[in-house]
Amino acid sequence: MAISETSLKDVLLFTFDEINKAGGVLGKQLQLIIVDDEGKGDKGVAAIEKLATVDKVDVLIGGIASGVALAQVPTMKKYQIVTVATGAAASTTVEKALGPSPDSDWYFHLHPWDYNQGQSYADGWDAIQKKYPAIKINRIFLAYEEGAFGKSSFDASKAIFGTRYQFDGASFKSALQGGSDYSAVLEAAKEFKPDLFLWAGYAQDALPLLEQSKAMKFSPPVYLGAPPAWPADMSKSPLAENVMLYGMWAQSINDISAASKKFYDAYVKAVGTAPTSYFAALSYSAVYIVADGIKRAGGTDKAKLIAALEATKYASPLGETITFSPSNIIKHQGIRNQKILQWQNGRQEVIWPFEVQSKPIVYPFPAW
Amino acid sequence: MRRPLSFLIPLLALAAAALLPLVSGPYPLAVARSVLTYMALAISWDMLLRSGQISFGIAGFFGLGAYAAALSVLRGGMSPILSILFAGVFAGAVALILGLVILRLRAVYFSITTLALAEIFRVIIQNWSDFTGGPEGLVLPKLIFNGESKSLYWLVLAAVVIACAASTMFEKSRIRLALSAIRNNEQSAAASGIGIFKYLLVAFVVSSFIQGIVGGIQLQGYGFASPDAVFDSNYTLLPLAMALLGGIHGTPGPVIGALLLGIAAEFLKLHIPYGHLVVYGIIIVLVILFMPQGLYGLLRSRRHAVAPVAENRVDAGAWGK
Repeated sequence: MAISETSLKDVLLFTFDEINKAGGVLGKQLQLIIVDDEGKGDKGVAAIEKLATVDKVDVLIGGIASGVALAQVPTMKKYQIVTVATGAAASTTVEKALGPSPDSDWYFHLHPWDYNQGQSYADGWDAIQKKYPAIKINRIFLAYEEGAFGKSSFDASKAIFGTRYQFDGASFKSALQGGSDYSAVLEAAKEFKPDLFLWAGYAQDALPLLEQSKAMKFSPPVYLGAPPAWPADMSKSPLAENVMLYGMWAQSINDISAASKKFYDAYVKAVGTAPTSYFAALSYSAVYIVADGIKRAGGTDKAKLIAALEATKYASPLGETITFSPSNIIKHQGIRNQKILQWQNGRQEVIWPFEVQSKPIVYPFPAW
Repeated sequence: MRRPLSFLIPLLALAAAALLPLVSGPYPLAVARSVLTYMALAISWDMLLRSGQISFGIAGFFGLGAYAAALSVLRGGMSPILSILFAGVFAGAVALILGLVILRLRAVYFSITTLALAEIFRVIIQNWSDFTGGPEGLVLPKLIFNGESKSLYWLVLAAVVIACAASTMFEKSRIRLALSAIRNNEQSAAASGIGIFKYLLVAFVVSSFIQGIVGGIQLQGYGFASPDAVFDSNYTLLPLAMALLGGIHGTPGPVIGALLLGIAAEFLKLHIPYGHLVVYGIIIVLVILFMPQGLYGLLRSRRHAVAPVAENRVDAGAWGK
């Protein structure tokens, strides 16, 4: 097996260790081979070539960046190794490049596509407004980092929210790309007077954006962030209080899910800190889904393994049971929903879906 | 003895490189493709450096080439091979136009301008969404040669051969003398009747042409271009580090540097999976600090230091007779 993101190596290492200590799969120990794609397309392709031809792996697990996945798709198609992908949300490029069934039936996509995410946000905010009549959202402003991630977030959000809400947005240069000044985009947002302010960037943008929002006294009724991960010390920052976020997993899910608690305890024991990204829970889930699939398939025969994975019903630490069903193009799409969360007293609390809600929403976002 | 060897070694190296796909699998070929890509960029960067002008615009012309190739296929219906040539011509033409202005700058002013140009290209392409696909980029319907590993490798190797041929031509022709004269003392060179601007323009256009070609090949080999991917600063920094490691002001240095750093990067990744980039960075810093003339420069200086002693011995023997 293999994973191609070193940022997720810790969780993969302890998950394999956990499974192997429990006796492995079908009496055999699982072997993990890690190759770093360095977040670059050419390195990602070389990694697939190595894993396919030198290591001859049975299953590929991993991936985050859509750009790397896009470069890898032609090579992955060449070998058609059973793949459980934990990232790559860009449907217009990656899903399109994969193509429809049966040519992409070896590919199991766990992470929601961008249109899945957009739809789940729309559903979430509809449900929240219905449950809490005091919350009225008419105007939405999206501040997005100027790269592919931010632009695809803007396009998907505009397509879904633009017809029903007054929607506007502006881009900023992410701190990840050397940016540090968010005043222009915050000024534009302040002038727009949004009921919901959303930013789509990276972990490095989180605290500077909040600092500058505070300096500019910008406190919209809903202040929402959607980075793939948050800074490790975000929970300790007073700036985080009552900021809302999108994500798939939060520590608060431990209160209602034994699977989440098991994952969390194992993670903290192995890594020494709490997970800062839902990709940790997603990767943990990916390994268990594969292990369970191999068990039910009676081995790693490709056709049998694909059939077994198609029948997956995994009670994941994400607070939902993962199954696979067709998406717009591919046959095997796993998770479709993100969750709406909120920082409360240094912890991410689930606000929506209500069936896994851990705390009621704090609204409006308090003035600085 | 030196003259035949100077031909024989590159020919043997080329033959070995050309035959590599017959004896290795897809993984070494994928790594080799990456190494050769950076090698061609390192050689092209060095060609302009011989005039004393340090360009930080490699990623700019590389990215421009990638987009020129993508757009010529997707909007112009051009064949993949033609699109690669078009990428080179387009990058060269842009360099020609811009060179008329920026080659009047010297030293750090020129370097900063080329760095800015690369960023300007990226910003224009990122914001011209209707035409270029914006930040999400462009995806080709299929890869050149249907993505067949050996053919893709030979295609990148062809770019290296073009770069080596152009670089050798620079070394063997009067261009070398002109560029060296400009680098050593521009006023003296001008006083000697050397057309400084003409030679700078030739070096800038040819190096940009090669960078454009390599960008076009990268696009055809991986099937997509996005501003983040093709204008990545690594396409400037790695070739520069490779040339500095191998040795500047000649063809062998960048070739050696690219081979060593490229292979070292992959080797370190496989053997130190959790810290390879740190070790890689330390190696680059140490080599540049303690071997500023590069490995090839070091070898040459040692050879020159040894050669007179050997000659003296022969002379002494002759006198003895």
